[in-house]
Amino acid sequence: MGSKTAATGCAVLAAAGAATLLAAHAMVAFWVPTEASMGLVQRIFYVHVPAAWTTFLAFGMCALASAAYLWLKDERADAAAVAAAEGGLVFGAIMLVSGPLWGRIAWGAYWTWEPRLTLTLLLWFIYVGYFLVRASVSDPRRGRRLAAVVAVVGALDIPLIHVSVSWFRSLHPEAVVIKPDGPTLHPDMLATLLVSLAGFTLLFLGLFGLRCSAGSGRRPAGGAAA
Amino acid sequence: MNALRWAWILAAKDLRIELRSPGRAVATIAFVTLAGFLFAVSLDRTRVQPVDVTGPLVWLVMLFAATAGAGRAFDAEDEDGAFRHLLLAPAPRSALFLGKAAANAVLVAAAAAAAFGAFALFLGLRAPGGIAAHASILLPGAVGLAAAGVFFGRMAGYSSLGDALLPALIFPLLVPLVFFGATATGRLLAGRPWPEVTGFARLLWAFALGSVAAGSLLFRHVVDD
Repeated sequence: MGSKTAATGCAVLAAAGAATLLAAHAMVAFWVPTEASMGLVQRIFYVHVPAAWTTFLAFGMCALASAAYLWLKDERADAAAVAAAEGGLVFGAIMLVSGPLWGRIAWGAYWTWEPRLTLTLLLWFIYVGYFLVRASVSDPRRGRRLAAVVAVVGALDIPLIHVSVSWFRSLHPEAVVIKPDGPTLHPDMLATLLVSLAGFTLLFLGLFGLRCSAGSGRRPAGGAAA
Repeated sequence: MNALRWAWILAAKDLRIELRSPGRAVATIAFVTLAGFLFAVSLDRTRVQPVDVTGPLVWLVMLFAATAGAGRAFDAEDEDGAFRHLLLAPAPRSALFLGKAAANAVLVAAAAAAAFGAFALFLGLRAPGGIAAHASILLPGAVGLAAAGVFFGRMAGYSSLGDALLPALIFPLLVPLVFFGATATGRLLAGRPWPEVTGFARLLWAFALGSVAAGSLLFRHVVDD
């Protein structure tokens, strides 16, 4: 009964996220002002930035859940890590596709090997490795443990991505929202971005919860669910 | 007996085996030397100057040599089931990792020296800045490559994908190391002053020591049943 209620709550959360995203897209299409220098292509920002935030949130949650699994050996922590890693890969793919579409117009190239892009792509590959390890180790318990180690080690890339813009010469735009002297974004743009951020986050958390409960329910004790 | 003593015993054992039957070391050094030869003959010197590409090439050859070597780091113990006996020894898992990583670092450092020598010989390069400056860049690289290689090499040993999994796991993690190292070596070869590479040397040591520390902390989760 408890797990059914939790699953219903997660479904409601995911639906709320989807509805908020629809509203955000309506704001992007009909309400937010067009940025002066880049024009229409700047609107990709309202998808790219929230997708990036959700990706880092998901991979961070995966690493924390994996550390908890290594420490406590609790299967629920492993189920949470898998759900978060899956979300991270999906939202990471959205980020990695939307960024180059913007870059083609803003930089004249789909991709440049500058630090933040490179490290973010590598982070995505590290979590592909997470699933490769899980799937390729014949003993499921060992596979879960080794994958958890990969997730913990891979998360060390996340702070490096954050500081890479200031440590190295980078083409990637610097932060315009989280700054010591406050956001430098136009208020309407900031409102649109925050609605989109809320939509992405709610959708991810809802799907994460649903996947966690499905994963825990399917997994036999010490079983083979990869 | 403390962990460092155990690590020393294990590293000495691995290096003694390698000296008695130097198959892995000879194959690795032959690989890096031939790679240097192949790059030298395939380079179009009317368009590309060797000094411009040698830094990245040396580091890529080191990376491939370390990856291939790491996949074999536990072969001797795995062949006759001795690895399980090694786990039954009262040595901490961190010591097991440190011993294996130290022995592997010696082999990777030898491969790095051979790669550097082969590239210098075949591409006609000198070593501006001195051998000591190049060694201070290559040494932390060898330590970082060896530590990551041993850690993920053991992990790949449990996988049905075997050695095919190892590059997929360690290449993304080692990109910063290769980037720092290749840039620093390239700058030294181009005759740039030492202060232009000290930042990279520090980052390489930070990466190497971080890899050793992370491996020591997490290795028990890789090997314990």
